[in-house]
Amino acid sequence: MSLRPYLTAFGLQWKIGLRYRIAVIAGLVAQMWFGAVTLMAYASVYHAAPDVQAPLSLRQAMTYTWIQQSLFTLLPLGCLPAIGDAAKTGAIVYDLLRPVDMWNWWLSSSLARLLGNAVPRAVLLSCVAGPLAMLVGLGAWSLAPPASLLSAILALISITLGALLSATIVMWWNILTARTLSPLGSYAVGTPLAVLLSGMLLPLPLYPDWIRPFLLAQPFAGITDIPIRIYLGTPIPGGVATGLSLQMFWVVSLTLLGRLWMRQTVNRLEVQGA
Amino acid sequence: MPTPLPTSDAITVNNLRKTYRIREGGSWRGKTRDIVALDGISFSVPRGQIAGFIGPNGAGKSTAIKILSGILRPTSGDVQVNGLVPWTNRVAHVARIGVVFGQRTQLWWDLSVAEGLALLRDIYSVEPERFARNRARLADALDLGGIMDQSVRQLSLGQRMRAEIAASLIHDPDILILDEPTIGLDAPSKLAVRAFVHELCRDRGTTVLLTTHDMHDIEALAERVIVIGHGRILADSPFEALRTTTLSERILELDFHGTPPDLTLPAGARETARASQSVTITFDPRQIPAPALVAHVGHLPGLDDLRISRPSIDEIITRFYADHAA
Repeated sequence: MSLRPYLTAFGLQWKIGLRYRIAVIAGLVAQMWFGAVTLMAYASVYHAAPDVQAPLSLRQAMTYTWIQQSLFTLLPLGCLPAIGDAAKTGAIVYDLLRPVDMWNWWLSSSLARLLGNAVPRAVLLSCVAGPLAMLVGLGAWSLAPPASLLSAILALISITLGALLSATIVMWWNILTARTLSPLGSYAVGTPLAVLLSGMLLPLPLYPDWIRPFLLAQPFAGITDIPIRIYLGTPIPGGVATGLSLQMFWVVSLTLLGRLWMRQTVNRLEVQGA
Repeated sequence: MPTPLPTSDAITVNNLRKTYRIREGGSWRGKTRDIVALDGISFSVPRGQIAGFIGPNGAGKSTAIKILSGILRPTSGDVQVNGLVPWTNRVAHVARIGVVFGQRTQLWWDLSVAEGLALLRDIYSVEPERFARNRARLADALDLGGIMDQSVRQLSLGQRMRAEIAASLIHDPDILILDEPTIGLDAPSKLAVRAFVHELCRDRGTTVLLTTHDMHDIEALAERVIVIGHGRILADSPFEALRTTTLSERILELDFHGTPPDLTLPAGARETARASQSVTITFDPRQIPAPALVAHVGHLPGLDDLRISRPSIDEIITRFYADHAA
């Protein structure tokens, strides 16, 4: 089987993601705003309770926040827009008419769309929040460099796995969309889950002790939380290897289960008509 | 990959049934009811034929088209398209057919026509030389030169439909399935689409299965009409044969100076309309040949002009549906 259709799907969605330059700028402004507000909140909380041993230092919490903000569009907030549109117009039947493996076809599209959205934003925001902020004397509020070279390399591997994991979760939203013939459900379920469980709202290491193991073990932690912990060099229970293994575990199991769900969904479309 | 069975027919359908289960009341516990969309249809289409598939809304046309395309699974029955069973060999099957759903788009709104075609080249793994050849041929035949670089969302309906047809043929399918390809098109676009499909069949021997509500499509294209109603095949014959068996009547219109006189007509002819200066007579040429009827009325006082016409195909088909209570 040739890889070409899937690379093409990837290229297409990557291009579409890059096409919305105004959205990148608007998103950047919004993310800077949310980032700054969050930082100020942390600063006042940390200064109000200087004796508490927090799992993250203030500087680490700030860096965590900046990376989260710059990777916001990497989160699986809902289905792939193209699949949402196709479900509404009925053009989704054409996806059944292509001589391709539908899972890989949609997955490569979804991954490219996430990366096409996230990469330009991440590069821009980390430049602004990192080196630029330091240059203008806001070093204390800036995005800190990685803990070490090794952390940087491992974080890069981990964020790649995180992107794949996110695209795999988007596949679940895509299937939900194909079943309900509307993208709304996927956003209603996907956005709150992703924002809450990825650590976007509050860094997962800052939750109470008793709930932290569960938060680390759920799939959304593998998208940005585990890569950021590796970047910061903060300890992960079981070490970096456990972090990477959790990510791989979720990619593999969500793929296997998702493929079953997809087969069942395609069967249902084939039985009931799209 | 399964070897295609040697057969001269591109499509064979045998006792095909499809029942949809509808949940009533919309709740989880609602009662279910079975709706029979196809009630055992059989037909075959030889290679290189254009077969028209017609029937009123809800007759089962779309269901049959979807099954033949491989996107719907029948309840029972046998289907072979190019020797393959569409729903069990989906990937191999869809690689060899082209499909156009007139009301849906298979091109990408965000891309130009050219980019969309290039994408389909990769999806269908068309070799570069073959792609370049096909693209040039289709651009020429469907007059796509001016719109290749426009994005699909900017195209008019007529332009888009021509691009859609090109998209369905970029991989040289043996069979083209057209589901209402002329819906909403203006007259020149309809003529262009018909002329193209006709040439495609003549020059390349592509088998075409066409559904439409536009009887002129059928008259212009289809060597053969399959009429479907209530999930059954009501007729399967050349269009001319359908015309003769369904509505062989002709219409004779007479214009007069002043008020038309009272008429006494021979058997097989009857007056069907009368206006201040004209009379319309409907007659069956098997009972009273046209020349005899014209001779009969030719001497009428005040007769100014007369015309003989055949009922329109829309009238024929409406009559056919009514006769079969479809």
